[in-house]
Amino acid sequence: MKDNNTLLHVENLKLYFKASKGIVQAVDGVDFDLPNNKAVVIIGESGCGKTSMAKALLRLLPKNVAEYSGKILLNGVDTMLMSDEKYRTDVRWVRMSMVPQAAMNSLNPVLKVGDQVAEPIIVHHSVPKEQALDQAKTMFQRVGVPVDFLHRYAFELSGGMRQRVAIAMSLVAVPDLVVLDEPTSALDVLTQANIMNLLKRIKKEIATSFILITHDISTSSELADNVVVMYAGQIVEVSDNRRFFTAPLHPYSAKLMASVPRLRGKEQPDFITGQPPSLINPPTGCRFEERCHKRFSKCSEEPPTVNVDGILVKCWLYT
Amino acid sequence: MGSDVEITTPKATKQKSGFVTTLTRVLKYSGVRLLSLFITVVIGVYLTIMIANMGGYVDQMMKSEIQERITMQIQANPAFRTMDPATRSQLTQEKIQSEIDRLGLERPLVIRSMGFLKNALTLNLGRAQLMSSDSGSRNVKAIILERIPYTLLLMGTANLILFFSTLFLALALSRKYGSFWDKFVITLSPTSSVPPWFYGIFLILIFAAVLKILPFGGVIDAPVPKDFLGRALSVGRHLILPASSLILSSFFLSIFNWRTFFLIYSSEDYVETAKAKGLPSRDIERRYILRPTLPTIITAFALLLIGLWAGAIITETVFQWPGLGRVTFRAINLYDTPVIVGTTIIYAYLLAITVFLLDFVYALVDPRVKIGSGGGPQ
Repeated sequence: MKDNNTLLHVENLKLYFKASKGIVQAVDGVDFDLPNNKAVVIIGESGCGKTSMAKALLRLLPKNVAEYSGKILLNGVDTMLMSDEKYRTDVRWVRMSMVPQAAMNSLNPVLKVGDQVAEPIIVHHSVPKEQALDQAKTMFQRVGVPVDFLHRYAFELSGGMRQRVAIAMSLVAVPDLVVLDEPTSALDVLTQANIMNLLKRIKKEIATSFILITHDISTSSELADNVVVMYAGQIVEVSDNRRFFTAPLHPYSAKLMASVPRLRGKEQPDFITGQPPSLINPPTGCRFEERCHKRFSKCSEEPPTVNVDGILVKCWLYT
Repeated sequence: MGSDVEITTPKATKQKSGFVTTLTRVLKYSGVRLLSLFITVVIGVYLTIMIANMGGYVDQMMKSEIQERITMQIQANPAFRTMDPATRSQLTQEKIQSEIDRLGLERPLVIRSMGFLKNALTLNLGRAQLMSSDSGSRNVKAIILERIPYTLLLMGTANLILFFSTLFLALALSRKYGSFWDKFVITLSPTSSVPPWFYGIFLILIFAAVLKILPFGGVIDAPVPKDFLGRALSVGRHLILPASSLILSSFFLSIFNWRTFFLIYSSEDYVETAKAKGLPSRDIERRYILRPTLPTIITAFALLLIGLWAGAIITETVFQWPGLGRVTFRAINLYDTPVIVGTTIIYAYLLAITVFLLDFVYALVDPRVKIGSGGGPQ
């Protein structure tokens, strides 16, 4: 089914929420694979289920979950079958860690940041506090945070520094996979660039896989090995870096790429008309049909996922 | 956690001068704060004095009461029967005048109130006008001191049990949002709209009248037990019903309040991060929910401690519990101004001291708070 190089294998992952108006199908049957030591970027508009997918992968479920099913194989072990306690001790942070969406608020305001960074190894590896703090110190140096910041509180740090601390925290227990949920969205452009450069450097230095969730296509292009495009809770295209950024296959991907301003070339950025459909009662057939400039008669039926030279695309155009 | 407790100065290199500036800042802040609190206490107590005197109307009432009393006295006294009406009336007027002079009612209240204020602020509580303590003293201090132990015993027992049990039950419930017990508590929270004395009447009915296992009221059995243990047990038995009715009447609402409070704080991003980090539930509750909310919890606790002072008027009456609540209630009914002012001034001082100390406690438990640095957290 999969070769030994596959770190993460996700199959038919579903995460539905109960809302007052009905069931929100935030993640609706998602399949993808992630090889070892690769970075995959998940892109899509807001409200496409990117963050929900991160939550589903990390089992950080809100209280109104209606359905949570599918397979998440990490190194061949299905984590969906684990009990909460086993998942906590065996997977959380030691195998899979995260850099949360609002890293600004992801640090406890009344604990020193050094203690927070050291905390996971104290809990999971039963390391004495001194040693854990030493490791936190190494991590701080690696992400470019001055070492004396270990004894500071989150409110004494700038946004960029907090983000670096969050990244240091995610790496401290040497996980196999780090999920970064829009790690730069709350930062100014210069700091964004700094953080992206940091991530690129870390990716080269450390043997860890990354899932980067973003709507910022231009910055993600530098980091990504593979690209996953999500639309309305589903994956519409799984491609690789080289081919996706030059010639995306799915009409939605093409439109997304066209909406990115170019440094060279005369093309004006294009935009996609309309809104993504509501995830409460998503349309039958292709979910992008309504906004698609290439739609034709077949699009009212559910499109299959087609393999075009190794690129998976969920569109009738390529059958 | 002990190492967290310090008022941090930003630059470690400038520690010495940093310490001095911190000290002057804290001292300056304390001075300003104490002064403003003192002014608040003065205003509050002065208002109480004016209100307790009903803006001078109590003087009128006292004057007419003196007039009536002395007229009656003279009329009823056989020694004055033979006097001719003019002399008798003159004598009456003189006696009334001397009584009014003795009480100082001639001078306007505004002037006398300054004296009252000074006495109150220096805790020179004076003598009650009409009330006396159970041992027969007219001293306001004696009246209050006699009742304090009973009030503190009842209110302290009930409120401390209430506070800590509801706090920890609420924390547990907030982690199990939407569970059966959560819904159970929410459903029962309106039971707190019923006042404690109402529960008291029911508890008396059930446990004293029908089951006959607990006393109807009072603090101790009629022949007082000779040994200390016997007395303690007897007081304990008398304490059960009033304390239970105080606890019962706030129990579910209090859990509901704290649970909602904890729910808000458990949806913070850092709590979710802590969960993703795989920390055990106990650590998350302790370090990521309780610790950041400690200032609020301490405030609630400190206010509860001062609240003990007020007593519970009707509940004390229902259980014939000789507490401060009943004293205050009686003093208000009798317009016994010194007693009203006496209880108020002690309450005001306690409140001011608590508010003052809370600022320092905040700085100890929350690194974002710095004494006297003006701006709040970023």
